[in-house]
Amino acid sequence: MLQAQSLSRTFGTLTAVDDVSFHVRPGRMTGFVGANGAGKTTTMRMLMGVLAPSSGSVTWNGSPVGAEDRRDFGYMPEERGLYPRMKLAEQLSYFARLHGFSRKDALSRADELLGFFGLEERRDDLLDNLSLGNQQRVQIAAALIHRPTALVLDEPFSGLDPLAVDAMVDLLQREAADVPVLFSSHQLELVERLCDDLVILSGGRVVAAGSVDELRSESEERYRVVLNGQDAAWLRDLRGVRVDDVDGSTALLTLDGLEAADLTRTVVERGPVLEVARVRQPLSEIFREVTR
Amino acid sequence: MSTPSTTGPAAGRGMWRVVAEREVSTQVRSKAFLIQSGLLLVGLIGMVVLYTFLGDREQTSTVGVVDEISATAVDEASAIARSTDDNAVLEATRYDDVAAAEDAVLAGDVDAALLPAASGEGYELVGEDGVSPTITQSVTAAVSQLVTTANAAEQDVDLAALVSGADVGQRLLDPDADDAGLRQAASFIFVLLFYVTALTFGLTIAGSVTQEKESRVVEILAASVPIRALLWGKIAGASVLAIGQTVVLALAGVIGLVATGNLDALGVIGPAIGWYVVFFVLGFVTLASLWSVAGALASRQQDLGGATAPLQILLFAPYLIAVTAGEGVRTVVSMLPVVSTMLMPARLAEGDVPAWQLAVAIVVTLLAAVLFVRLGARVYENNLLRTGNRISFREAWARRSPADA
Repeated sequence: MLQAQSLSRTFGTLTAVDDVSFHVRPGRMTGFVGANGAGKTTTMRMLMGVLAPSSGSVTWNGSPVGAEDRRDFGYMPEERGLYPRMKLAEQLSYFARLHGFSRKDALSRADELLGFFGLEERRDDLLDNLSLGNQQRVQIAAALIHRPTALVLDEPFSGLDPLAVDAMVDLLQREAADVPVLFSSHQLELVERLCDDLVILSGGRVVAAGSVDELRSESEERYRVVLNGQDAAWLRDLRGVRVDDVDGSTALLTLDGLEAADLTRTVVERGPVLEVARVRQPLSEIFREVTR
Repeated sequence: MSTPSTTGPAAGRGMWRVVAEREVSTQVRSKAFLIQSGLLLVGLIGMVVLYTFLGDREQTSTVGVVDEISATAVDEASAIARSTDDNAVLEATRYDDVAAAEDAVLAGDVDAALLPAASGEGYELVGEDGVSPTITQSVTAAVSQLVTTANAAEQDVDLAALVSGADVGQRLLDPDADDAGLRQAASFIFVLLFYVTALTFGLTIAGSVTQEKESRVVEILAASVPIRALLWGKIAGASVLAIGQTVVLALAGVIGLVATGNLDALGVIGPAIGWYVVFFVLGFVTLASLWSVAGALASRQQDLGGATAPLQILLFAPYLIAVTAGEGVRTVVSMLPVVSTMLMPARLAEGDVPAWQLAVAIVVTLLAAVLFVRLGARVYENNLLRTGNRISFREAWARRSPADA
């Protein structure tokens, strides 16, 4: 488990990260979201040790993280960086060798990852000659090359088309299914689909952290009721609910004392019903609530 | 966790070798490196060839003759001429009669003609409007020798007894003085070669550091290996290349001298070539860490010129001194680090250098190398992960404090 404990970082008079604590559990994808300038990248750089914290610490499996531990982490920096004029296979195997792979193992590992993205035929191309999307694939391959013990990925999906995102998610699930993965993203729908846990940062502070389900259940239970043609306005008179919105035969309401089962029974008794459904609160809404 | 093969205390150690290997393999395949090496090699071989042709070319003079005795005299004259001038050669060309020989002189086919004198007694040297002193002296001596020998035999005189005690021998007090040109040329080549090699490889090191900063790959590298391993790898890689190139050039110089038959020249400057390689290694390693630092101070290739300027001056100053300074100044500064790499081999090529001066130069350079590498490592570590504007030297030196880095 990778843990940030009261991490803070100031640049001159600016406090970029302020007393940030959270943990990234093994086998869980943890989404790291926050507005621009919220401190995500600074926090990730401190996790990786490329930036020293002003105060606070990082622990790995309960003890302070050491340089040796960190070298086994995989890292994808916000500002993408590889050697532009180096061939793909050569480049990836170089990173593998920096992690102690033998020359032969390094090359076969590089080819394996290139193969996963269908880039095996371009293994001898220079990185510069690849499209941006493909360069990003190589970047994630560089983060995974040494079979990392934890992954810190800064905006790994930005600029990728949906198919490329799926391929990358597949790869993460195959390569890093049992290690802690922290990834930041602006694309909330994507985070919602992918992550198990969530850390929300705002103004350098953690405003919410926990599993996505936990964060949802903290908010109220909302239901959508769709009647078969009838006007749904009568629901306003129902006790134990608060109707948020009525639009023709559709009503959006929040339970306020009434049980969900009772709501369904009451509605069905009244007439034909098309749908009574729990509304899963979109992440964007949670995000807006906690960062408000 | 799931990576037993790559974890553990061994990871990170010895990684400088992997870094060095990449530096070497990248450079060796780069066009700039190949072109630069090729040019240096061609230039050096060109110098050797030029030296051979300009300094050592045979000056062949042709002399027209019409009889056997004159032809023999010219052959003898050639041997005599050679004893005064290493490069002089005389060749006889046979003509049927005096008129044909005179025509050849007028036409410029031969430099002169050795013909029986019109008076019938003795010989005369016939030229167009003059005869070169080499021909005159050697041919006169040869004819006089031949005729004297023939006359002596005819008169039954013991020629050996006649000339006994008349030999004039030679004793040379400074036989090397003749090589002054060669020595000066060699000394100039050493100075220039180190300047060019140190500058190009130094800029290569700095450029490769800056490139890693600029492309941000340094964040991944720094997260993978200790920053010091990166520095060592860079220094080692560039040193291997620079030293390899120097050894190849030194060998090319030696082979060139041997192939062109300049074995005597090799005897004169051979030891200096050997010392050059030794001083090159020391001088280059001393500077290498500073070039890495210059690279770490620049965030973009555009900043590289400014960041490396102090080093370029550091290299150019000894170059100027080497070319212009007087004897005393040269002796003193030739024992200073970096300067010694240019000046010591140059001084060795020009003449003997006392052993203690060589020892002082080596010890001082070694100390400087250790000091520079340590200082360089600190500044490099402090600045490699800083981005943004070019970092001032004062900023760079200050320990990176978390509050302002």
